[in-house]
Amino acid sequence: MLKKVLMFSIAVLFGAQAGLAMASNPDTGPGCGLGKLAWGEYKGQKEILPQVLQTTTNGTFWSQTFGISFGTSGCTNDGKIMGEHKTTMFASLNFDALTAEMAQGQGEHLTSLATLMGVPAERHAEFFAMTQERYTSLVQAGETSPVALVKSLNDAIAGHPVLAQASIR
Amino acid sequence: MSEAQSPDHESYLAQLIEQAQQKKLAEQRDWRLLLHYRKGLFGEYESEQDDPGFFLSPNGKTNPEAELAATLAQFFSSELVGRSKQPAQCAFVARYHWLKEQLTFDSARLPQLACERFDRWYEDFEVDSVSLIFPSSYLNNPASMFGHTLFRVDQKGQTEQTRILSYTINYAADVPPNSGLLYPIRGIFGSYRGYFSTIPYYLKVQQYRDIENRDIWEYRLNLTENQLRRFLMHTWELGNAYFDYFYFKENCSYHILALLDYADPNLHLTDEFLFWTVPADTVRLIISKPGLVSGITYRPSRSTIIKRKRESLPAAERDLAQRVTQDLGELTSPAFTHLTPPKQAFVLDLASDFLRSQIETKKDPKPEWKERNRAVLTARSRLRIPSEEFSVRPFAKQPELGHKMLQATLGGGWRNNDTFEEATFRGGYHSLLDPEAGYTPDAQIEMASITVRHYNRADQTRVERATLLNLLSLSPMDSVFRSPSWKLNVGMNTIRHNGCQLCSNGVFSGGLGGAKELRLLNREVLFAFAEAEANVSRAYDDMHRVGGGATIGILSDLAERWKVMATGSYLRFPLGDKSDEFRWYVGSRFTIAQNWAVRLEYNHRNHDNDILFSVQAFF
Repeated sequence: MLKKVLMFSIAVLFGAQAGLAMASNPDTGPGCGLGKLAWGEYKGQKEILPQVLQTTTNGTFWSQTFGISFGTSGCTNDGKIMGEHKTTMFASLNFDALTAEMAQGQGEHLTSLATLMGVPAERHAEFFAMTQERYTSLVQAGETSPVALVKSLNDAIAGHPVLAQASIR
Repeated sequence: MSEAQSPDHESYLAQLIEQAQQKKLAEQRDWRLLLHYRKGLFGEYESEQDDPGFFLSPNGKTNPEAELAATLAQFFSSELVGRSKQPAQCAFVARYHWLKEQLTFDSARLPQLACERFDRWYEDFEVDSVSLIFPSSYLNNPASMFGHTLFRVDQKGQTEQTRILSYTINYAADVPPNSGLLYPIRGIFGSYRGYFSTIPYYLKVQQYRDIENRDIWEYRLNLTENQLRRFLMHTWELGNAYFDYFYFKENCSYHILALLDYADPNLHLTDEFLFWTVPADTVRLIISKPGLVSGITYRPSRSTIIKRKRESLPAAERDLAQRVTQDLGELTSPAFTHLTPPKQAFVLDLASDFLRSQIETKKDPKPEWKERNRAVLTARSRLRIPSEEFSVRPFAKQPELGHKMLQATLGGGWRNNDTFEEATFRGGYHSLLDPEAGYTPDAQIEMASITVRHYNRADQTRVERATLLNLLSLSPMDSVFRSPSWKLNVGMNTIRHNGCQLCSNGVFSGGLGGAKELRLLNREVLFAFAEAEANVSRAYDDMHRVGGGATIGILSDLAERWKVMATGSYLRFPLGDKSDEFRWYVGSRFTIAQNWAVRLEYNHRNHDNDILFSVQAFF
């Protein structure tokens, strides 16, 4: 399971590279328009939410049920986040909460991320301890992009004696 | 257009329509719920749906029977219809399954089409149950004054720790950005369209808990597998259409209730709301249905968490946490280094909570807050212990324990040297002296209230008071939270002035101030306002006066059921009728039951004294 996530993240990384060439905005995530939305500076409630929850009134709006794409055009099918974007979207949209919980060694965002990455529940404690230990380097990776954060996490799991065991399934 | 214009298709369609007429399907409750028909005054039907794409017959909005026939006809075609561009069997999947059940479609003569999009969407929910979510009100944003409701579709295998991964089903007005001051007005009169959306719960939690500082209550609903399926099928249909959004009635709460109505047609939820739909009322209604709610979860807002964490600390550590947010040098001070690691972790977590609340709620967050938060978290990560669970008690009890919205009051008393009896009707919503359970503390929203009073000696019956809108928000300040308090009042009262004994007086006033919470007896809130006021009455020279002044007051919970408020004001009116006025007020309320209270109030203005005893019922 984890191996799959790892392979996928690398693939996305290349995808993102391709995206970089096309878009001038280096914060753009894996092929769907996250933009600077949750990655740049939060501007306070007045601006972030309308952005996150923006309904796009372009052509795709009318061809989609639940045409609300909450600011992530191209990441959703009928309002549902496509499977391959779930982890990076989550990491991206919850970055601040995630980094705080990594430092604190627990929390619902971190548990949810571990679940999305396929870390089995009985290994969550090790996963939390690992993120706490590597807090500084993970945050630095996250500063560049959500993809890089997820990739660093996967690398850390692959190099972790207990967590790597769990991933061979 | 459609591929099967064969004679058999024609004859089978005719047969189905005839069967449907014999069974009177168009008159059945399920069909009415599916199409959102409401019966008008003269027995005519009209659908609340406003999207022409939702109807397959040109008269569908007002003719249930024509719509049913047109729907059956469209099922024979694979033409893409509606806003979501799917075959009718898929776009209107709930109608299709209901009619298929009622008329037992012959799959050889009416083949069932594959609906991959719906199937994928449905599977992705991995539905286990549905919860009603109630983010409580947030007075400093008029659009959320009454709270909000949405559904959350809980996935199989989820735990409390992974709930945020679920999708929500949310109905909201599509308000263009920068709509400014017109927004509330347009929202009230239905000029926005409302759409359904499936936003991940983690975004909603971010919005309510972290940014708007609203407590969230979650009510898990008991629905059978079949009811869940009906619920989601109908959601899919509505995701394909819009309703005109009316802030007071056809709002977020109303249309999501319609989904539950279709899931279980015996509930009859939307029928209860004729003129307005208040989110808290819908919660009370759902709680009142036996066996419908199987569990309640509370999610504190970030400001509630910070307040409770601060309360739990001794003063020295509370101040230390506060100093850490301003000066990272504190981390090397003996005050900090002498704490046990779990205590250090608690202090650092509190400091980070506070910095994040500043970053996320302030208009122009300072860049150094972000850096400081990063540094606090780095220090926290070096402790290498997980934070302990901290359980948070709410400041406001859950909404279903609150009094109902409408209020009727009977009272009597003395004014100057006369006696009177009076009756009041209030359209909403909550005043500072009303029983506070279930309502945001220290906030008042009164609207559409009218009092008729009969004076015995003067033998006069008159409209004594009327309130169009009376808002008051007290935000107690401490070293961490420093929001201003404010008030606004538009209405009329009856005054004694310049020899006019009982004169109607129009009042427009507003004020800005601050509040402070004390814990002398139980809980007291002290407040002070600077205010401006304009009055219009024939009692004044030039018919009016404009001026300003100040009010100070205290609001105090003397006991669980007993609340007292006292205020004193001085106002000067240099414009129009040049005058000044001393006012004081002492009011006391005792709660008898959830929807019953008694009050004793004393109102003084210059030479005008009024004592009122009243009994209030909420319904």
